[in-house]
Amino acid sequence: MPHIKLPPGLPGISGLMVYRPDTAKPMNELAHALLRGTESLTAGERELIATFVSSLNDCHYCQSIHGAVAAYHLGIDEDLVRAVKANYQAADISAKLKSLLRIAEKVWHSGKEVDLSDIQNARQQDASDLEIHDAVLIAAAFSMFNRYVDGLATWQPDNPDFYRSRGGVVARDGYLNLKRDPVAFR
Amino acid sequence: MHPNMKPMFLADVEKNPKRSAQADVIRQMQNANSEYPQILHLFAYHPHATQHLTRFTRQVMREQSVLSEGFRELIAAYTSARNHCLF
Repeated sequence: MPHIKLPPGLPGISGLMVYRPDTAKPMNELAHALLRGTESLTAGERELIATFVSSLNDCHYCQSIHGAVAAYHLGIDEDLVRAVKANYQAADISAKLKSLLRIAEKVWHSGKEVDLSDIQNARQQDASDLEIHDAVLIAAAFSMFNRYVDGLATWQPDNPDFYRSRGGVVARDGYLNLKRDPVAFR
Repeated sequence: MHPNMKPMFLADVEKNPKRSAQADVIRQMQNANSEYPQILHLFAYHPHATQHLTRFTRQVMREQSVLSEGFRELIAAYTSARNHCLF
């Protein structure tokens, strides 16, 4: 049960966004700017960072929905998403993405833990300043989203099919102008 | 650079502010040889993304709410202190 009265049938952050549209708008725009693919990091890599940080924060809704979006971008590869969450160092991803996940892991715990050796390591794997910048901002922003979603005890469905179907829509349409239809099954 | 300030980890972030209100402040502070917070560089680097954070902050901290602006700033200051973030 959410700690405050939220619109029914809207899981995780979606109920909060309907509840407070003024703050929802810039949050969605930030998510869209950070998570859509660019010439540097792909949308799949960006969603993997978001999923990884959400799993460190133990946010069921966030890691499930962004894990599903990541899987879609990566050719419906749910195993890769699971592998990154379980042990990204052993996962079948680039050394560059591993170096960015290491930085994201530190930002999750405390921004002050990121040191010059982490930055140099990422640069050695060909990460640009913009890619390092985006990894840090994704990790910081998702720590905010995760705390927002769990701090108000939002309803978070267990059914993985919900996240699969929603993840496909988000992967296709992005985070702007998302329709917030109540979920039929619980 | 003011003697109290250290170079940032990401030189590109520090050297390439894009046109923004923050970039104007950075220039003024540098011309005056003043110490200034480097969060300004973060907001000037990639405004395409961070302009939304600026608007989010304004919405949460300044717009009409049952909580007074002073009380909202106290919550922000307390959380930042717990995170040991001096700025």
